[in-house]
Amino acid sequence: MNWRIIGTLVSKDLSLFFRKKGILAITILGLVFYLIIYFVMPGTVSENLKIGIHAPELPPVFQHLPEEGLEISIVDSEEILRQSVSDGTYIVGISLPPDFIEKLNTGQKPDVNLYFTADAPEEIRVAMETLVNEFASTLTGQVMTVEVSEEILGQDLLGTPVPPRDRLRPLLAIFIIFMEILGLANLISEEVERRTAQALLVTPATVIDLFTAKGIAGIGLAFVQAVLFMAIVGGMNVNPMIILVVLFIGAALATGLAFLISAFAKDFMSVLAWSIPVLVILIVPSLGVMIPGAITGWVKVIPSYYLVDAVHRVANYGSGWGDVWTSLLILFGYTIVIIGFGILVLRRKLQ
Amino acid sequence: MTDYAIIAEDLTYYYDDLTAVNHINFQVAEGEILGFLGPNGAGKTTTVKMLTGQMKPRGGRAVLLGMDVAKNIEKVQGNIGVCFETTNLYEQMTAIENLNLFARLFGVKPFYAIEYLSRVGLEGRGKDKVETYSKGMKQRLMVARSLVNRPQILFLDEPTAGLDPASSEAIREVILREKERGATVFLTTHDMMEADKLSDRVVFMNQGNIVALDTPLNLKRQYGRRALKVKVATGSGALEDREIVLDTPETPSNIQELFMHEQVVTVHSEEATLEDIFINITGRGLTE
Repeated sequence: MNWRIIGTLVSKDLSLFFRKKGILAITILGLVFYLIIYFVMPGTVSENLKIGIHAPELPPVFQHLPEEGLEISIVDSEEILRQSVSDGTYIVGISLPPDFIEKLNTGQKPDVNLYFTADAPEEIRVAMETLVNEFASTLTGQVMTVEVSEEILGQDLLGTPVPPRDRLRPLLAIFIIFMEILGLANLISEEVERRTAQALLVTPATVIDLFTAKGIAGIGLAFVQAVLFMAIVGGMNVNPMIILVVLFIGAALATGLAFLISAFAKDFMSVLAWSIPVLVILIVPSLGVMIPGAITGWVKVIPSYYLVDAVHRVANYGSGWGDVWTSLLILFGYTIVIIGFGILVLRRKLQ
Repeated sequence: MTDYAIIAEDLTYYYDDLTAVNHINFQVAEGEILGFLGPNGAGKTTTVKMLTGQMKPRGGRAVLLGMDVAKNIEKVQGNIGVCFETTNLYEQMTAIENLNLFARLFGVKPFYAIEYLSRVGLEGRGKDKVETYSKGMKQRLMVARSLVNRPQILFLDEPTAGLDPASSEAIREVILREKERGATVFLTTHDMMEADKLSDRVVFMNQGNIVALDTPLNLKRQYGRRALKVKVATGSGALEDREIVLDTPETPSNIQELFMHEQVVTVHSEEATLEDIFINITGRGLTE
């Protein structure tokens, strides 16, 4: 390996990259666009559940609801309650009949109507039914005899409120890193198809020099942009060293994938055709951060899961090395395998 | 004892069942121009790739400047220049940037790109992007690029193919100047006139084998046929063609008889071309 030659090749690659106006525009506009998306997203979390209650006579137990993180409003009529839930003012509407307490006291079953917005999650529906039943039991003096205790195993990712814009950080960081696959794969495939690589390989530059230079250029481009983004959006405020390591490995993973794609692609369109499905697969794990519980365990086979997981935990929950070392290790393993395979395939194509 | 710049020893390459280069042996002396001729698929490019370290031989070895190419690839490649048949320049860069890039790879210091551009007549276009160049200009820049490290051996693959006469002539002049400088030139070409004019010796390749290797003159003597093409006037005034084959025992008497009994109008000598000789040896043309 000759570092003078590698330096020359890296400078050539970066110079060519920045001469491609289309790729340059995608890169800069992409970065600006992601920052805009981040800053227009809500920066705070409102966890109060807005509930409207219509009750001619409000039982005392319902007066404790606001302490439970619920925001209660009393509504004058059932009709207004239905309308308010329908237009989204309340997520849940509870309509208690006038004889609610009387029926409970005489051992009868009162009819309670619950109204939900169309997009209310199933969990809220079940919770509300349970809540009403529990209150009814309390009112009749049949206090629950079971003491339920809860224990979150590991870090409580759902219990700690994270603003939507911060949940978006791993997704946008992933986008920035993996969009570089396009630029780098295009650069490499052009080098092969236009046979400029052949010209380089009859100079003292070796295949290893060539791959090292491409790797440095690719990792550098993706890493610098991702770090810039994370710094601007405050993702480096906690444990910046871990974030730097995670983004560096992520950039290396993107470079390995670019090697692989460029071995199969012949021009920019085929680079695009190969890259898009890869990008879609890679962003799937970040959806799990945006919508907790939306995806299942199979997502762990996607290498970017470990990148997202580490960025999410460190940037949003302040996790340390001890919390994310397994994710880093697995991500590193995936990266080594993909880079190795990429070099193997591309080397065959070069020769 | 002659110092050889290039030695091919039993050089062999095959792709699956197809033998591209079949145990070939030859030497090229320092400062010599060797024309490497043959039709498409004869094994020329594969041979060049093995000599320049782009491909590892399946058998035999290539020795350049006294070094085994397979074992000293970086050292060998630092002392050779290769001009490819297909244009492979960085088109978004200027000519000067292209040359500077390769000079840096070879570690040439100081390097004045303009000097090399003027050798191929491109000094006025050095700051233009290569994508704005014509085919001939690109080819001249390719030749200039192959010279940046002042190579001891220059490999030129079809350097004048499809070029206008002026560009071709400019490249031929560069080749001759390189020879004067002492460089060895390995010239692959389809242009028989060019090979004849430039080469000290020529190699004929056919189906992976060397079928002839000698100076153009010796090949013509050995395989060619010289003749006189004569036009004579008949009694009615019409012209008829006659041919007298030279270099035979009957030649003097045939010439004497012709001039005694016929009214000779024009006489031209005809010499075999390298193409004729190739057909004579292999039974197929160079462009097949």
